[in-house]
Amino acid sequence: MKVKYIVLYFSLVTTLQIYSQEKSHISFTIPSSLKENANAVIRSNQLDVTINSVDDMTVYEKRIITVLNKEGNSNVEAFVHYDNNVKIKTLEVLVFNQLGVEIKKIKKNDFKDVSAVDGGTLYSDSRVKYLEYTPVSYPYTIEFVCEVHTKNTAFIESFTPVNDYFLSVEKSAYTISFPSDITIRTKEKNLETLDITKEALQNKISYSVKNMEAIKPEDHSPALVDMAPKVLVSSNKFTLEGVQTEVDDWKAFGKWMYQDLIKDTHDLPASTIAMIQNLVKDEVTDIDKARKIYEYVQNKTRYISVQVGIGGWKPFQASEVDKLGYGDCKALTNYTMSLLNAAGIQSNYTVVYAGSSQRSLEKDFAAMQGNHVILNIPVENEEDLWLECTSQKLPFGFIGDFTDDRDVLVITPEYGEIKHTKKYGTDENLQVISGTYTISDAGFIDVNVTVNSKGIQYDNKYWLETETERDLDSHYKNRWSYVNGMSINNMHINNNKLDNEFVEAISFVAPNYSKIIGDRMLLTVNALNRNTNIPDRYRNRKLPLKIKRGFKDVDEVEITLPTGFTIESAPDNASIENEFGSYKAEIIIKDASTIVYKRELQINDGDYPKEAYEAYRAFYKEINKLDNSKIALIKNQL
Amino acid sequence: MRVITLLLSVCFCMTTFAQNFNFGKVSKEELEEKFNPLDSSANATYLYKYRKTFFEYRPEKGFELVTEIHERVKIYNQEGFDYATKTVNLGKRGSDDEEFSSLKAYTYNLVEGKIEEDKIGRDGVFESELHKYANQVKFTMPNIKSGSVVEYKYSVTSPFVSNIDDFVFQHNIPVKQIDFKFEVPEYFNFKLNTKGFLPVVPVSETKRDKISFTNKERTGGGTNSKAAVTTSYSTSDVEFTKSITTYNLENIPALKDEPYVNAINNYRSSVKYELSYTKFPNSSATYYSTTWEDVVDKIYKSNNFGDELDKTGYFETEVDALIGSVSDPARRAMLIFDFVKSRVNWNGYYGFYTNDGVKKAYKDQVGNVGEINLMLTSMLRYAGLKVYPVLISTREHGVPLFPTREGYNYVVAYVKLAGGGFLLDATNKFSVPNVLPFRTLNWQGRIISEHGGSELIDLYPNEISKNTVSFMAVLDNNGNLNGNYRSVKTNHEALLYREKYNNVNKEDFLEKLENKYNGIEISDFKVVNDLDLSKPIIESYKFSKESQADIIGDKLYFSPFFFLKENENPFKLENREFPVDFGYASTTSHRMLIKIPDGYKVESLPEPAVLMMPDNLGVFKFNINNEGASIQLVVDSQVNQPIISALHYQALKEYFSKIIELEAQQIVLTKV
Repeated sequence: MKVKYIVLYFSLVTTLQIYSQEKSHISFTIPSSLKENANAVIRSNQLDVTINSVDDMTVYEKRIITVLNKEGNSNVEAFVHYDNNVKIKTLEVLVFNQLGVEIKKIKKNDFKDVSAVDGGTLYSDSRVKYLEYTPVSYPYTIEFVCEVHTKNTAFIESFTPVNDYFLSVEKSAYTISFPSDITIRTKEKNLETLDITKEALQNKISYSVKNMEAIKPEDHSPALVDMAPKVLVSSNKFTLEGVQTEVDDWKAFGKWMYQDLIKDTHDLPASTIAMIQNLVKDEVTDIDKARKIYEYVQNKTRYISVQVGIGGWKPFQASEVDKLGYGDCKALTNYTMSLLNAAGIQSNYTVVYAGSSQRSLEKDFAAMQGNHVILNIPVENEEDLWLECTSQKLPFGFIGDFTDDRDVLVITPEYGEIKHTKKYGTDENLQVISGTYTISDAGFIDVNVTVNSKGIQYDNKYWLETETERDLDSHYKNRWSYVNGMSINNMHINNNKLDNEFVEAISFVAPNYSKIIGDRMLLTVNALNRNTNIPDRYRNRKLPLKIKRGFKDVDEVEITLPTGFTIESAPDNASIENEFGSYKAEIIIKDASTIVYKRELQINDGDYPKEAYEAYRAFYKEINKLDNSKIALIKNQL
Repeated sequence: MRVITLLLSVCFCMTTFAQNFNFGKVSKEELEEKFNPLDSSANATYLYKYRKTFFEYRPEKGFELVTEIHERVKIYNQEGFDYATKTVNLGKRGSDDEEFSSLKAYTYNLVEGKIEEDKIGRDGVFESELHKYANQVKFTMPNIKSGSVVEYKYSVTSPFVSNIDDFVFQHNIPVKQIDFKFEVPEYFNFKLNTKGFLPVVPVSETKRDKISFTNKERTGGGTNSKAAVTTSYSTSDVEFTKSITTYNLENIPALKDEPYVNAINNYRSSVKYELSYTKFPNSSATYYSTTWEDVVDKIYKSNNFGDELDKTGYFETEVDALIGSVSDPARRAMLIFDFVKSRVNWNGYYGFYTNDGVKKAYKDQVGNVGEINLMLTSMLRYAGLKVYPVLISTREHGVPLFPTREGYNYVVAYVKLAGGGFLLDATNKFSVPNVLPFRTLNWQGRIISEHGGSELIDLYPNEISKNTVSFMAVLDNNGNLNGNYRSVKTNHEALLYREKYNNVNKEDFLEKLENKYNGIEISDFKVVNDLDLSKPIIESYKFSKESQADIIGDKLYFSPFFFLKENENPFKLENREFPVDFGYASTTSHRMLIKIPDGYKVESLPEPAVLMMPDNLGVFKFNINNEGASIQLVVDSQVNQPIISALHYQALKEYFSKIIELEAQQIVLTKV
């Protein structure tokens, strides 16, 4: 009897254990709230970072993820980067079907192993091992286990439970363990509404979060990285490719970067220094000198990215760029800086997150951040200048939407400092259209127009300067896609880099622009700047509204009507003003056959609650409608 | 105008300077040139492209393939800087790999009237292991500026003697002069295939050559001999004939991509050498492929094809159970087709050969194209049907013009039945008989028959894919529109719809649909037959949309197509060189019934119209009439051919432009 009980007892325990172990391998057990809008569900994620010493870190990750559909495959992320300083200890994947039955096991050697160069990089010594797996049915579950050892402790993985849209999380946990001689700093972001637990011990900090619903992307909303919960983690002492340091704030961090990575790379040959001094000798102001040097660099160099060892973090020697005429963003920025130096102009190496999403460096959290480098030139009593040194085309001092309006780390020889880059304001992003068009009695349109663009509107167009004629032709047909059957007679482009002004002079014709209906003709007055895009409609908007950059369009077009027609009716003048901007349209009748159409549209940048989205959309709908307003012309009776 | 063009081209010829293509002999004129006089839009130009590929005998290795490259590139502006970086991929298989050597590379610039040269350094050359089967060498030139000329030469030695890279004449930038040479000893016999629009004439000659072997002979030193060991060397020569083919071309225009071209490489001028047989002294010939029969035979006899087709043991039990009670062959075929589709998932890899084998694919439920469709073929054969594999070249792979194994990259199955046959592809879950995935719709496939022969079969579907829309709407006096929309889609229209709809989040799909029409509001959205592939797919919904008419004075103006109107001509280029490839013929019909608001009457309607493309390529019919408060519209648009020749491009462009105009015609209502 007794024996029987024991057996029963044991088998019960075993079953329970199996059950609890496999629960997250079974697809059915996902709460329905987590399936909503989700392509994949992270069932559990355990990320353990152990700093053994200043130059020895172990990162263990066990992630169980259920993929609900094809789109979710990319969330499996079963890959690991490695190089000479990173050793992979464990790498394994188990695949389970929806019942939680293991159907496949993939070991380290079955992972694909390739060089980790992307399109923009010529060479990198980094490699990646990744899983290639074709699912046999959905949903399925992947258990990914990976452990690496690294000598680089400069990058401590942060706690980022969600890194994508359409991804929900059942449970995600994070720990960092560290020796007593190392201090760990953390910064928590967007944790307010979460079901989160935190434990901070002397040598260990842990976080754990449960039940995070998937986020669906929406038009004109903040970037995911600005909304997603995150805990940033950094240590006061760290090692980067064999270089060790100790820093607590941006001040010290900047100093370290300058001293250890930048300082000894400014070795220009004497001949180059002399040449530069000669180049700028006739320029009076520092700005004009800097402009000359910037243009010199643009003509001399090109962007080539090569990432090897510490070279991934430290710029090439300036002398090397001088000799080869190419380099990556660090090298080209550093080279420009050295040349400016030779002319007696002080400039600062600046770390930034590049991209149009305006991501800022964390102001009060010093750690390795950013993905790009630009140059800062302080100007007395004026705004700082910023130089993008990897572009051969941008005008001096123009950074466009790649690095505008965000917090960056400016590194001076003595310290690091967070500054904010140039913001292109609504009034600066100006497009002025002035033109004339003539309508024939057959409805044929003949247009002459000049489009003058500045600020971010300049940024959107300056690349047209070097397009081929064939591609330009297509470009303008696309820009005015609502004009059917258009043929372009003349395209003239003037890129005025001194004033950051892009001027396009275009003339084109198209048949049947104006619609003839019996004795009438229906003319859509706005032929040259019609808004055709209404922001997407959401049945249930969830995210706040963000307009990253404002702009202003001002149009004035003189229209010659066909002889023999009289205006039967014309749209009323329109004027709208609201928190998002303003719109004005006006028709002035000059004489029997000449009218002038004036239009002004201004959209302001700003952040608004999600409730404002519908009003914003309604504003655009109204603009769309007004832009399609028509004049009815009637044939004169003889 | 003509005369001027003629004169200009004469001038160009006259300003063309004599060029010296010896390595390093870059001229001032080349450096001074600001643009390519024959194509001012070129960002860079190959001034010279030299390639020599030949066989070299190495006593320890046998024949190896050596390719010598020498190129001189003019870079006119920053857009051409990419040509200052060269990438060479090197194959490897186990211990065999291709070797890159003897790189010499210089950049030339004109500085104050003097030619300055910069040699590439070690720091400009990067070698890496790309993946298991390829290494890569990249080099990038120093001191590149607008106007630079770069010149480089290098060699690649390869053990893969049957694998000759294509000699490509036409590139994305123009080429001023090409000198290509291919030398083959008599032991190798290659077949030559040419493609593209350029007239390419090879010049052939033969020469005698010899291989010297060094023989080592030892004498003396035998077990019983006390004589000293002597070693003597002798050389013996083996003479052979080699054939030399050269290509010398001048002023080759750049190849420019155009929209709706299925694969631009189809039109790129190049020649390909495919090994047909080898015959070494004192041994019999080994054949590779020379005719389609050879190609088919080779493929069939390969382990990864014919043998795989013959395997049946792994599926017999399941297939027996599946079709045991069914005798009708067509029904058997459908059962098996559906079984394979649901059982095995395509891993995204192409190829008519199996990779891991049908057995493993069956077990793991994952396979490449070869595994899935060969498995399908053998199951259907097992069920007693007449079934043949069909080799296909997918759209992006180009058109197989010549008998080579590489001409094809895909396989499907052809079932022959008494009443006619059909094609099957089980790699796509929504594909049905004769409605193959879009990627396969490329000219003709090759049916492999049992006895080694082969015949061609059209891949472009015979049956027209249809989309029939019924649209009933009520317009109110504020210009708001409410109504019902229903569309019935068949064949490829249905396949494409299912691919877009079936596996995605439904709410998301709906939102995208609403926003496709600038935010119409949709309710009662329904899709019928999404899973029943034997029936057309039916999508229906109720909609409402504001501002669908212009209210001007006492009149209402609107286009009867409302938000369904095509607004843009997809064909924007003024001219076109290559055919337009739609993939399949299609018909779209609209039956529309519009109720006008109370208190209004129809003042004018557009005229009915018919548009025709030449050669019956397409027809557009527009019919409209009005009875009381309702307007009826019947519009049919038909593209009768999957491919339309570039000769008809202007007509096609005009046709689409006219359709847009017709659809935009206005109806005028007036207050009663």
